[in-house]
Amino acid sequence: MERRVVITAGSAITPIGHSKKEIVNSLVNGISGVKRLRQDDLLTRYIHSGVFGTVDYPLEYDFKRQHRKTMGPVAYYACQVAKEVIEASGLDNEFITSGRLGVAFGSTHGSPTVQRDIYKIFFGGSSSEYSNIGAVEYLKSMVHTTAVNITKMFGITGRVISSSTACTTSSQSIGFGYESIKFGMQDAMLCGGADEYDTTTVAVFDNLLACSTAFNETPHLTPRPFDSRRDGLVVGEGAGAVLLEEYEHARKRGANILAEVIGFACNNNGGDLILPNLNGITQTLRIGLENAGISPDQIDFVSAHATGTKMGDIIEAQAIHKVYGNSPWVAGLKSYMGHTMGTCGAIETILCIYMMEERFIAPTLNLEVVDDRCAMIRHSMKLQEGNIRMAAIQNFAFGGVNTCLIIKKFE
Amino acid sequence: MEEGSYKINNTRVTIMTREELQNEILKILSREFEIENPDLDDDLRERYEFDSIDAIELLIEIEKLLKTELTQEEKKQAMDIRTINHVCDYVEALAKTRA
Repeated sequence: MERRVVITAGSAITPIGHSKKEIVNSLVNGISGVKRLRQDDLLTRYIHSGVFGTVDYPLEYDFKRQHRKTMGPVAYYACQVAKEVIEASGLDNEFITSGRLGVAFGSTHGSPTVQRDIYKIFFGGSSSEYSNIGAVEYLKSMVHTTAVNITKMFGITGRVISSSTACTTSSQSIGFGYESIKFGMQDAMLCGGADEYDTTTVAVFDNLLACSTAFNETPHLTPRPFDSRRDGLVVGEGAGAVLLEEYEHARKRGANILAEVIGFACNNNGGDLILPNLNGITQTLRIGLENAGISPDQIDFVSAHATGTKMGDIIEAQAIHKVYGNSPWVAGLKSYMGHTMGTCGAIETILCIYMMEERFIAPTLNLEVVDDRCAMIRHSMKLQEGNIRMAAIQNFAFGGVNTCLIIKKFE
Repeated sequence: MEEGSYKINNTRVTIMTREELQNEILKILSREFEIENPDLDDDLRERYEFDSIDAIELLIEIEKLLKTELTQEEKKQAMDIRTINHVCDYVEALAKTRA
């Protein structure tokens, strides 16, 4: 049994805005969400990179204590976008709790803020007579904290998938959610990812010389995917969620269908855990097209992973050229907000839907002079009107994990 | 041992009256669990969704209140507690064993 899968709601908390209106405004007007790295009295004094894709606007959470008590910052993000998606979907409570709705949601490593607090107690040298670690600290910090806090908040009883594969976390969430519906295991899946503000992630990439350091005084000018002056990635924070639903289920209840997921690929490079791999990535893009049952020339837009690193962008451009030639428009949407890690796949999917709906193609921000080694593909360098009918969203992660999602405008 | 107090690690701890203890528990319930103006015989689980996680958190607060660490056995005994009156009975019993 293979069933059609459609997207019937989406929500994102991003460094360039929360509502669709704010996010589209940033894309259309070239507004960056990259700001100076906030001091944390822990690592920032050692980190060379001084920039971060920052969510610096207030978020008004309205969660009961019974839900808040097991939530760290990452779960707040996750539950907020999940709540907005559930509300926008119009799904009734009977269905939500029926077991036919599941959750596929993850983060890079749970809540590092809470983990840090636990370690402070462990290694603080305290000889306290009573336990200092609360009963809920693990529930707040664990890797699947986002997914299960969502199930708790809404009484969702279907399957739970909680990928934690760094930068492919939420693209896997959407992909595995898509497969769960396509093959009849669930009728709907709430899918996405979240990552909170965290300087340990910045420190990791900084140590690997992968972070941008040359634009600390002008954060909005970095990252610069495919640009000759790019100097590395910028870590960011945020959350994104989409509701995937079996087509007939959505149609019968009169849901507002935003797009259709028509293909998904996930593979591994089978080797180095850090370096980008041309063969692995190329294969992912091809499997994605095969899975969708379409030819490369049917893709109008490629949302590149494009983190702005020296080698990653070149390898990705080569892979895109091998598979697509220079036919589709290509943009690196991380140029607006940095690399939101586990949530980037979901956010980039939502941005693609917004562009489909509003009929425009955003340029890669800060792409001024294309690196010769990335020049073989069709870069989107200025805002343009455009009818994206099919888009490929590609993401690649440490560990050699690659994903490609193919979505189609619903007409 | 002077009446109304007990010693832990050579520190004298004053035992509260029942009313003082109730007030302390009510303060904890308000501050940590957002339970306001409860009846002393309300079933905390049914009325306020007070679950096993909350019970563990409450035990930590009780340890802080008594300035003493509870044993695993003592903690297990707390899992049947349902009302604020039960909480007070439990804390009084703990204090007595340490008097």
